[in-house]
Amino acid sequence: MEKMEKRFKRTIHALEDIFTFLSEFKKRSNIDNSAAYGLDLIVEELFTNMVKYNSEGSLDILISLERAGNTLVLVFNDYGGEPFDITKTDEVNTKQRLEERKVGGLGIHLVKRIADQIDFEYHDRRSKITVMKKLEE
Amino acid sequence: MLTIEINEKGNIVLSGRFDASQVEKAKHVFTNIKTSSVVDFKNLEYISSAGLGVLLFTQKSLNESGESLTLINMNKHIQDVFRYAGFDMIFRIE
Repeated sequence: MEKMEKRFKRTIHALEDIFTFLSEFKKRSNIDNSAAYGLDLIVEELFTNMVKYNSEGSLDILISLERAGNTLVLVFNDYGGEPFDITKTDEVNTKQRLEERKVGGLGIHLVKRIADQIDFEYHDRRSKITVMKKLEE
Repeated sequence: MLTIEINEKGNIVLSGRFDASQVEKAKHVFTNIKTSSVVDFKNLEYISSAGLGVLLFTQKSLNESGESLTLINMNKHIQDVFRYAGFDMIFRIE
């Protein structure tokens, strides 16, 4: 099992470093880009969500990645701030007409569509999101 | 990184990755689109909800005057993202 973890500053500008980190993980874990497309999306969406909605959080967000057989396990730790349980967000109605569609809110929706399992925990002002994603064959 | 060019046909050609860090750059281009246009995804390898938001905002604005975006040459992964978002119902995709 290959596990990597790293802290990233709470800013959108950390995304470039995050994608570099993901590339390294994919290389070490023998995950080709096609098989792990969803990995980049899940990580970006959850990270940017934490940046946007937990402004009271501590400076860094800890991202841990692990390959367990044919399953990716992604863990996001966000320290400080109030809990925001993404597993309990309202569903986005993707069948609405263009005039009714609102800009925003799609990030969590996409994570829920792509991930196989999402868990949320909150203890001592620490939010922990664990996502599991089976690798595409 | 995202690059945006206008080709000889007047199509908007996206290249690279359209993630949240590229939204401001994209807005500079997309907010200036006032008539129906083609957006070519042939060199775009990745898009996230941030990119979808820019496209949606543009499509909604254009729609008010009867104009729209047509999206072409998406790779399979981006097509999947559009389908998950229900964007295949509100954009013409070729």
